[in-house]
Amino acid sequence: MDETRQRLTNCFQVVFPDLSPEGIATASTDTIASWDSVAAITLMNVIEDEFGFEMDLDDLADLDSFEKLYSYLQKRHQVA
Amino acid sequence: MTITEALRITQSVSRDARPFAVTLACGFTPLHLQTFLAAHLQQALTDRKVIITPGLYGNLVGTLESISGAALPDGLVIALEWPDLDPRLDYRGAGSWGATAANDIVAGAQTTLNRIAAALLQVPPGPRIALSLPTLALPPLFHTPGWQASQHELALDANVVHFAMGVVQEGRIAVVNAQRLAEQSPAAGRLDLKSDLYTGLPYSVDHADHLASQLALALVPPSPKKGIISDLDDTLWSGIVGETGPDAVSWDLASHAQLHGLYQKLLASLADSGTLIGIASKNDAAVVNKAFERKDLLLRPQQVFPVEVHWNAKSGSVARILEAWNIAADSVIFVDDSPMELAEVAAAHPGIECVLFPKNDYRAGLAMLRHLRDRCGKERVSKDDALRLDSIRQGAAFREQASGGAAPETFLEQISAAVTFDFGANAEPRVLELVNKTNQFNLNGTRYTQPDWQKLLSAPGAVLVAVSYEDKFGPLGTIAAIAGQTDGKCVTIDTWVMSCRAFARRIEHQTLKVLFQTTGASEVQFRFTPTAKNGPLRDFFASLLGEQPQSDFRLTRSQFEARCPALYHEVHEMRRAEAHG
Repeated sequence: MDETRQRLTNCFQVVFPDLSPEGIATASTDTIASWDSVAAITLMNVIEDEFGFEMDLDDLADLDSFEKLYSYLQKRHQVA
Repeated sequence: MTITEALRITQSVSRDARPFAVTLACGFTPLHLQTFLAAHLQQALTDRKVIITPGLYGNLVGTLESISGAALPDGLVIALEWPDLDPRLDYRGAGSWGATAANDIVAGAQTTLNRIAAALLQVPPGPRIALSLPTLALPPLFHTPGWQASQHELALDANVVHFAMGVVQEGRIAVVNAQRLAEQSPAAGRLDLKSDLYTGLPYSVDHADHLASQLALALVPPSPKKGIISDLDDTLWSGIVGETGPDAVSWDLASHAQLHGLYQKLLASLADSGTLIGIASKNDAAVVNKAFERKDLLLRPQQVFPVEVHWNAKSGSVARILEAWNIAADSVIFVDDSPMELAEVAAAHPGIECVLFPKNDYRAGLAMLRHLRDRCGKERVSKDDALRLDSIRQGAAFREQASGGAAPETFLEQISAAVTFDFGANAEPRVLELVNKTNQFNLNGTRYTQPDWQKLLSAPGAVLVAVSYEDKFGPLGTIAAIAGQTDGKCVTIDTWVMSCRAFARRIEHQTLKVLFQTTGASEVQFRFTPTAKNGPLRDFFASLLGEQPQSDFRLTRSQFEARCPALYHEVHEMRRAEAHG
């Protein structure tokens, strides 16, 4: 597992402590009942804490799965 | 604190821990405020699991009005903001900002504040309440330019302050200090308008953290320190008294020694509210006595006891002062201008808080004064606080005479001791304070929040007796409390504490005697737990049982009567109306 994926997994573990690592890898708003708007904003802030940059609330609606968040982080990493 | 840290704190608690339920009343989406509040409260309540339940979105008043005795929380936190007082003050609202709105907003806000005050009065006894007044700036809807306060803004501010002054008189409502919050969370960084408009949380992450921290302190304040031990030279005053003489040391403005004068004033103020003040100084005692005779000293000599002045190690002085006060090192702050002396005392007394007096550093000096107030400040000052130092002095005289030749029985018989048992002290804050700070004569070490204490006292058959004491040496005030339940035959005691100032007077024996007499019980069951510090209580029961208890135990009336020594107290009983409520 690459570093970004591992760090994102850690973020998910903080916000969804009951999810298994396998569950995190496939997590999305469709599969996780507790991934509501409050959890989405909390997850965004935890990712900001972990990766040290600010995310835009406008992006939040599209970032509705682990994989999409992972792709988003990779792009941010490339830009940086 | 970051949100990640806050979440980890709340998730680290055992699922089996006893819940501490908090209702969070706010009109906005609580989001991070809820997360941070849970984390800060969790840090203060390590043996509880904090559970925050947010109130109704956009209806703070409705949340307060819905709190009833059926599901009473342990604590209530209210984060008031301007939109709670009028929806036109909400950036998310659609109301007009026209000129005609201003007067109507002021009038409407006053009506809402009256409703909130009425709702707070209706909250049943039990939960403590923490309240923050609006922390965000008003929207730019009034006619004046931003640098000028409009009449309407001033009226809104005044009405909010007037409301707060009214509700704090209720006694259980603690209001967050707006000035302190402003130091931690500057006004310009508080509002996150995008978050407000997108999510309903108007606070920046930092502001949510700082406000949550202050609300948690208001809801669960830390126990104040009981005493301060201070050095003299270049601490209580400027200068070395042994070198310059008593008249040359200074603490005034003209001598540029005002920081020492402020320190003296703070110590005097803390002494007035019951904080014990002692002196530990390496000096010539005769010279120091001369200095203490100066009429311009701002800390009055009678406010200080004991005074340890000699050339031996300060750790020894601190040990004797702690012994005279009969309190543990972790309840005390030691202040000195010498890092070496601080280190010597810290090494000898683990747990003592050592504070450096920062000579000639005024910023650090002010920070120290504020720190001492924070660590020793009290929500309210009782008549027992005013008695504390005198009773310690009297205790020293008591011990001196008790060991001074007369037989103990003769001595106890001749001191004109009177014990008063108050059966209606349920609402006395001093009783819970005593329960939560007493270590040595403490049945089990259990600490109670205000709601837990209320639950204990409202249980069927609940009994609480507060005990006060006086003898020819003077009054000790309320020095003991015993609480439990009775069914007529048996009494179960959940809590029994007695101040160490009251030891060796057989008050504990008299308490049991009165308990057996007033309840008619043939035996008393004690919910006992040994703690690291409750040896004196174990020794007392060993004298009645023949061995030290290890866990819960029973004491029969005949066991007690067979081993109870002679008692010489005059006994008074107070039975107020609430004792039977």
